[in-house]
Amino acid sequence: MNIIVCVKQIPDPETPAASFKVDEAAKKVIPAQGIAPVVNPYDPQATEAALRLKDADGGGKITVISLGPDTARDAIKHALAMGADEGVLISDPAFASIDNFQTAAALAAAIEKVGDADLILMGRAAADWDMGVVPAGVGQILGLPVVTVAKGIEKDGDGLTVTRVLDDGFQTVKAPLPAIVSVSNEFGEPRYPQLRQIMMAAKKTVQVWSAADLGIDTGASVMPLEALYQPKVESNVEIIEGDTPEEKARNLAQKLRAAKLV
Amino acid sequence: MARDFAADIQDPIAGEIVTNVGVWVDKEVKPQASEFEHADQFPEPLLQGMSDMGLFGIKIPEQYGGLDLSFECYAGVCMELARGWMSLAGIINTHVLVGYAINEYGTQEQKDMYLPKFVKPDMRCALSITEPDAGSDAQAIKTTARRDGDDYVINGQKMWVTNGHRAGVYLVMTKTDTTAQPRHKGITAFLVPHETPGFIKGKKFEKLGYKGVETTELAFEDARVPATAVLGGNEGRGFQHIMSALEVGRINVAARGVGVAQAAFDDSIRYAQHREAFGVPIFQHQAQQIRLAEMIVKIRAARLLTLDAARKKDSGVRSDLDAGIAKLYATEIANECALDAMRIHGGVAYSKELPVERYYRDAPLMIIAEGTSDIQKTVIARNIVKEYPI
Ligand SMILES: Cc1cc2nc3c(=O)[nH]c(=O)nc-3n(C[C@H](O)[C@H](O)[C@H](O)COP(=O)(O)OP(=O)(O)OC[C@H]3O[C@@H](n4cnc5c(N)ncnc54)[C@H](O)[C@@H]3O)c2cc1C
Repeated sequence: MNIIVCVKQIPDPETPAASFKVDEAAKKVIPAQGIAPVVNPYDPQATEAALRLKDADGGGKITVISLGPDTARDAIKHALAMGADEGVLISDPAFASIDNFQTAAALAAAIEKVGDADLILMGRAAADWDMGVVPAGVGQILGLPVVTVAKGIEKDGDGLTVTRVLDDGFQTVKAPLPAIVSVSNEFGEPRYPQLRQIMMAAKKTVQVWSAADLGIDTGASVMPLEALYQPKVESNVEIIEGDTPEEKARNLAQKLRAAKLV
Repeated sequence: MARDFAADIQDPIAGEIVTNVGVWVDKEVKPQASEFEHADQFPEPLLQGMSDMGLFGIKIPEQYGGLDLSFECYAGVCMELARGWMSLAGIINTHVLVGYAINEYGTQEQKDMYLPKFVKPDMRCALSITEPDAGSDAQAIKTTARRDGDDYVINGQKMWVTNGHRAGVYLVMTKTDTTAQPRHKGITAFLVPHETPGFIKGKKFEKLGYKGVETTELAFEDARVPATAVLGGNEGRGFQHIMSALEVGRINVAARGVGVAQAAFDDSIRYAQHREAFGVPIFQHQAQQIRLAEMIVKIRAARLLTLDAARKKDSGVRSDLDAGIAKLYATEIANECALDAMRIHGGVAYSKELPVERYYRDAPLMIIAEGTSDIQKTVIARNIVKEYPI
């Protein structure tokens, strides 16, 4: 089974709140000093799913695609170190501030250029913007079925059986191949790269494709960013007085009612 | 988040490996270390994780199935392991050290027999030099090995053997000639399999720190090994072989010092920004700023000295001076930083709720084992004087 995994490099979600800054005029997040970007935490789960499916299937190739700046190579290398076979970086100054739909268009073009994919896996969302719409966008462009938020994926004859995570339970669906599946954290822990595979991954060359290589023009953003700002959080602490626990509870209840919280 | 601990590593692949090991340490070791430590429990799941990554074969040549990575990489990995829990870097120390001794000095038969097995922790290694009456003065050992036909018969008592119960093979320092002068000419090293009749594993020591990994007594009562068990096949070479392997051990212990000091610093700089006293975070008090600044300067120096010693060893030249300098400095500053972390945390440092007390209990081992700080100083002085002949 030939699988393509799309991975994204994002600012470290563990960045302390004090280091997280946005440039409101430029509508950009200012990279936190000294904190390296990381692989989107859901993406290694997509890579893990690809590796398990490839193992179960007994063959095929896993190609990793990332759209991003040159540093996004690290996200690709991580997937290669986990055991993926090849890597492609889509990098072009024209892609510096594109929206989700333009991203989907670029990824779709790259997926077609790689060719021959039975399955395309992605993380359920990128933890930076947390929109989770790129899988659907790629599916729309390529005309492929999209199954989102998977916690289990199994090859089933010529198709797949996918268990999806819902708000209040799980849902099992079947999909024909080729298909796009976005993988959720419930899928299980991704493997740690083995030292040997890190060494092998380091020796692999990652192909770099520009917009021209993909033959696409991303055009104008269909979802331009209007404003980007950090919410101002104000918090006050009030100690509820009272001589007995009952009196404190009564006073608290009255306060909550006065504040129309209960 | 913290600094990029791989940044000082020159080889980019080694850097990637160290970064990956660091991720594993943060996710798997840090959350569990104190629990294993307080229970003095051998950390099987963590050993499994280290094995899955391939850490046990880190210095075994590729022809035997290992990774043949550099000492620079090994030092970086040990720093990261120790940043999570010093004992993990101890579990791997004697393993790598004995593998190194066999690869450098062993016969072809010994290499073929042991090295492929060392790639996984199924057969682990221990090093046994120290005795009740011989520590720093290793040449004063009393354990004897007497030739008897095609065999040797070993008798004696050993102390302080790390991995002493769980190893599959022990590199044991003995005397085959108790009258030899100089004394080291009578010293021979043996590779003793754990199941050897007459080889007895004694009690496990209750320790201040360095828990989880066992340190034990061993006894040899007419333990019979074939002559093929002599490391390298020749009598009288054991002291040189083991001293050379101890350079690897000293790089490991220096790296442990860096790791523990870094952990102490990481916890302290965070705590200092949270904890308030006199209306401001304690970090705002200049005394704490100075303390933290001094810590990071020492840690950085120790890290660079240790990586430098490792690269010297990689170049193939004798590196006992460099390994000694790194070991002395990194382990001394580890103790200073562990105590500084106690000061910065105040009362809570004294509780078992936080790992700071563990750093403080783990640190003193490193100024003792693999040659005390005093011994490192004598090694350094003996070496350096040769560079200033008069
Ligand atoms: C937890 C632990 C694990 C260990 N694991 C191992 C192991 O796996 N294998 C192994 O063989 N050993 C192991 N050791 C032993 C360790 O290497 C020795 O404890 C160490 O070398 C010191 O020897 P000693 O304890 O006999 O101290 P001593 O040699 O008696 O030293 C006592 C004091 O005298 C000082 N001193 C001695 N000689 C001199 C000198 N020439 N000049 C100045 N001062 C001197 C020392 O610095 C020290 O301060 C371990 C020890 C510990 C605590």
